[in-house]
Amino acid sequence: MDQFVQAALIGISLGAQYALLALGFTLIFGILGVVNFSHGGFYMLGGYVAYSCVAFLGLPYPLAVLVAVAATAALGWVFELFLLERLVDDHLATLMLTLGLYLVISTGLLTVFGPLSMEFAFPVTGALHMGPIYVPRENLIVLAVCLTAIAALWLVLYRTDLGRGLRALADDRAVAMAQGLRPKLLFPLAFAIATGLAGLTGALVTPILSLSPGVGDPVLATSFLTVILGGLGSLEGAALAAFVVGIVEAFSSVYFGGSIGALVLFVLVLLLLVFRPTGLMGRTVRGA
Amino acid sequence: MTELRVESLAKRFGGLRVFQNIGFTLPEGGLLGVIGPNGAGKTTLINVISGRQMASAGKVVLGGRDITNQPAHAVSRLGLARSFQQTNTFKSVSVNENIARAVRFGGRGAPVGLTRMMDTFGLTPRLHEISDKLPYGLQKMLGLVMAFASAPKIVLLDEPAAGLERAERQNVDTFVQIVRDAGTSVLIVEHDMDLIRRLCPRILVLDAGVLLADGPPAEVLARPDVIAAYLGEAGEA
Repeated sequence: MDQFVQAALIGISLGAQYALLALGFTLIFGILGVVNFSHGGFYMLGGYVAYSCVAFLGLPYPLAVLVAVAATAALGWVFELFLLERLVDDHLATLMLTLGLYLVISTGLLTVFGPLSMEFAFPVTGALHMGPIYVPRENLIVLAVCLTAIAALWLVLYRTDLGRGLRALADDRAVAMAQGLRPKLLFPLAFAIATGLAGLTGALVTPILSLSPGVGDPVLATSFLTVILGGLGSLEGAALAAFVVGIVEAFSSVYFGGSIGALVLFVLVLLLLVFRPTGLMGRTVRGA
Repeated sequence: MTELRVESLAKRFGGLRVFQNIGFTLPEGGLLGVIGPNGAGKTTLINVISGRQMASAGKVVLGGRDITNQPAHAVSRLGLARSFQQTNTFKSVSVNENIARAVRFGGRGAPVGLTRMMDTFGLTPRLHEISDKLPYGLQKMLGLVMAFASAPKIVLLDEPAAGLERAERQNVDTFVQIVRDAGTSVLIVEHDMDLIRRLCPRILVLDAGVLLADGPPAEVLARPDVIAAYLGEAGEA
């Protein structure tokens, strides 16, 4: 039973991290119709910016996280406004552009920081013991920040005019434009929100896992898998699927061993695509 | 004064001419019908005026301001709304959210007559239903309500009666009446000749991209060239 509870807690913690990544990924797909292959790059960049702020500038870690969010959001905004925007309706071009950006980010980080993992430790250590259950404090902090960020994103999307506009663009761009919405203003903002979320996740998680120029690859794979499971473009689906992925991964690791987790997940997604191609909460048609 | 003036407007797709040398004025509070056979360029005319497609030549002037080739969102912000031939709703959200979006995005507040319009069309009891689940006729009327909900100065209607049952077409009359009561000008593209005759004091006839006639329906529809170009084939519609 203790093992079960511990696996569930790990799963929820992982799920919250995946949710932040997947929400950003699906936000960009839903609103711009772009599959953002640079998403893992922004995760990595968030980690490196936070690391640099702490290691070179001596900033306290919470401030470094905020700087990482601002930097990744700003880069996302600039990238969308000056490059992606020009080709936003050309799916092949946006795929190449975002993949290219990922290569630029990862190669740039490799050139500047080298191939080895950085010594970047989470500032809080130790564990919380609840009877026989052991939960690392760092995981609890990351979980709390992720849940706060998800709640903040929900508030922005569902309780503000900006969010109403973003959702309208995702629902039907032509109708939204006929109603007076400006994609050229809202697309960069949506992209910046998504990349800022990836940067936040990177700044929070890389001190716990690892920080090296290759850590963006599995992040892209997990984000992609999560949003397909949830239904491309569906925010609710992405959040739900992220927790499913986190919990499946945690239970598979605890009960069957580490390498089985990925296998179970891919089988799950494969079955879902066969029986429900639109994902858990996906839509059949997307207006553009 | 919010008058819509179209001067020598032309649209080409490469070597294909859709329409050319179209000119007319829609005065403030006016009502103008546009008819013509399929392929005459009516929908493209609405698309070009509303900024959805670029003009190849000519000018569109709204309230003295040149809006030629302004993007759709900018034209909408200036008070020109449009409906689409197909339903133009946000399909995955409720009726209420659709109307709320139109009002909020318009930025001019809800227009006088909006509640009456929703009541008349039977949308008020279905505010919380997802718009995609409504019967087609109601989806179509919701699209029209959304065009009006942004409190526009001018509304362009692209075949508002298309796909509606005969009884439902009466709602289009009511819609136009409420819109005009609010002081909004209307340009209506339509194939339903009874509706055009009932509503429009003035009509334009487009044929193969050329403005064939402009005047009162009784006069225009009696012209042999108009009958030959259009009414002969679609008079039974």
